[in-house]
Amino acid sequence: MSQAPIVRLQDVTKVIGKRTIIDRVSFEVRPGEVFGFLGPNGSGKTTTIRMMVGLMGLTSGDIHIGGHSIRTDFPKAIVQVGAIVENPEMYKFLTGYQNLLHYARMNSSITKERIQEAIELVGLQDRIHDKVKKYSLGMRQRLGVAQAIMHRPKLLVLDEPTNGLDPAGIRELRDYLRLLARDEGTAVVVSSHMLSEMELMCDRVAILQKGQIIDVRSIRGESGVGSKPTLEEVQFDVDHPDAALGILEGQGSGRISDGLLTLSSDRAGIAAINRRLVEAGINIYGIRVKTKSLEDQFLEMTGSETIG
Amino acid sequence: MVNYIKLIQNENMKIYRRVGTWIMLSFIVLIPILVSLVVLLAGGDDDTTSWPLIMLESYFLFSLIIIFTVVVSSDTVAGEFSRGTIKLLLIRPWSRSAILLSKYIATMMFALFFTIVAFIVTMLINLALFGSTSDSNDLGGIVSTGIVGWGDVLQYYLYQFVTLIIIVTFGFMMSSAFRSSGLAIGLSIGFLFAGNIITGLFAMADKVWVKYVLFMHLDLTSYMDGGTGPIPSHPMTLGFSLGVLAAYFAIFNLISWTVFRKRDITA
Ligand SMILES: Nc1ncnc2c1ncn2[C@@H]1O[C@H](COP(=O)(O)OP(=O)(O)OP(=O)(O)O)[C@@H](O)[C@H]1O
Ligand SMILES: [Mg+2]
Repeated sequence: MSQAPIVRLQDVTKVIGKRTIIDRVSFEVRPGEVFGFLGPNGSGKTTTIRMMVGLMGLTSGDIHIGGHSIRTDFPKAIVQVGAIVENPEMYKFLTGYQNLLHYARMNSSITKERIQEAIELVGLQDRIHDKVKKYSLGMRQRLGVAQAIMHRPKLLVLDEPTNGLDPAGIRELRDYLRLLARDEGTAVVVSSHMLSEMELMCDRVAILQKGQIIDVRSIRGESGVGSKPTLEEVQFDVDHPDAALGILEGQGSGRISDGLLTLSSDRAGIAAINRRLVEAGINIYGIRVKTKSLEDQFLEMTGSETIG
Repeated sequence: MVNYIKLIQNENMKIYRRVGTWIMLSFIVLIPILVSLVVLLAGGDDDTTSWPLIMLESYFLFSLIIIFTVVVSSDTVAGEFSRGTIKLLLIRPWSRSAILLSKYIATMMFALFFTIVAFIVTMLINLALFGSTSDSNDLGGIVSTGIVGWGDVLQYYLYQFVTLIIIVTFGFMMSSAFRSSGLAIGLSIGFLFAGNIITGLFAMADKVWVKYVLFMHLDLTSYMDGGTGPIPSHPMTLGFSLGVLAAYFAIFNLISWTVFRKRDITA
């Protein structure tokens, strides 16, 4: 964790007209880290990514990539970046290969062999000489990934890369991104709506809402599985929920939902509650700990439609 | 430098890998051939000489080349925005100015290529069919000056090419400033055809500033044969016209580059 970050955003702010679309967003991504960008529609994921790759100017703040500012040192900063921004739009009247050649010509480090390698990596070798207008969305997405990785960027920025991919494609991409991060030390920034996807793919996830980062959390926490001292929601399936609730009076906020006694507690607490209920003669048929998925936490934080 | 040529190569690939470009080229090749053949078959007698026909065809071809170049130039900039490909194009280790310049150069190369083709085809077909008797015989009054030789034709092409550069630069500016190819194409072509009418209207105004209006200088061929320019009431010199055009050229390019460099890409 001592390595210098590959990309660093400092108080990045974007104001369009009178609206603040991105509000003092700061984060860093280190080599070998897969960083997720999660947020509801219109929260500013794409806008942040556009600023990271220099497509949009910053109202204030700065973004450094490999130590070079995207504002003042654009070519040196961007040469270390591979990206897909929103949909992978390609030249439809060119073949897939000609598209890759087009981008390869703009970066002197890319050899013909490397283009071929990238094509094989994304599994497009059979269709690479077809015109892109004949490609499916998933094939265009794969071509998009190929152009993004061709020059072995230190930072890979992918805006909703799984969009349009089939399950096998998603899995391949996920495995490939993890491989890139682990073996080549690439820093990867992905945004996605597929929350469960993010859990599988990312080391850390930033949750964005209305242009602000409201939380950054590690997915592969240092604390290890199952020993989190956090409160979880626990459901007790008992024969007399009302009576049980009475017995537990004064033990925090319990409630009855769907005929189940529901309360929040940690591991030690569950054992204590169980003992008390048994001692009071309540029959317990089951205890279920409702582990919140990232998706639940995410919805809770950003608010569902009914709240928002 | 070698690397920069690759940028131009890219732009060329995007122009010449399209069927439309080759259809345009076939117009440039076929029109003079067909026109000359029709004239020959319609009893082009011994009086018919090459030069007037060469001028007539060149005049028409130039309008066509200007339209084609404006279409290509607006596609090369505004088209990237409307297709969304501008995003992947601009996230490369090149400044936006460098990328825009490669597009401008490719556009001008396209215009030059088409002009050379037009020149060669018109010359060859007419000299082959009619020979080069240097007898001045104006055709329908469309080309008013008595053009009688190579020198005149070359001069005509040169003057017309200057007009082309200005109109295409204007289209290029519209395309990079407004990112709309329709607007760029429409206005530039409007420029081309309304030019004469507007010139006439302005010429009636007896004001000094009329001399600085762009439209007054778009038809440099009126200086051929010692003419005094497009407005009889305001005699001017070729040098003056070129000076005014150069100023507009600089302004158009300044706007293109400034807007393109600053603009947020939201395509
Ligand atoms: N060019 C623009 N002008 C004004 N507002 C804009 C512009 N582009 C985006 N916005 C606004 O900025 C906010 C963030 O948009 P952005 O596209 O970054 O969201 P997002 O998180 O990528 O959403 P999605 O999940 O739908 O892709 C939105 O409220 C949007 O309306
Ligand atoms: Mg988005």
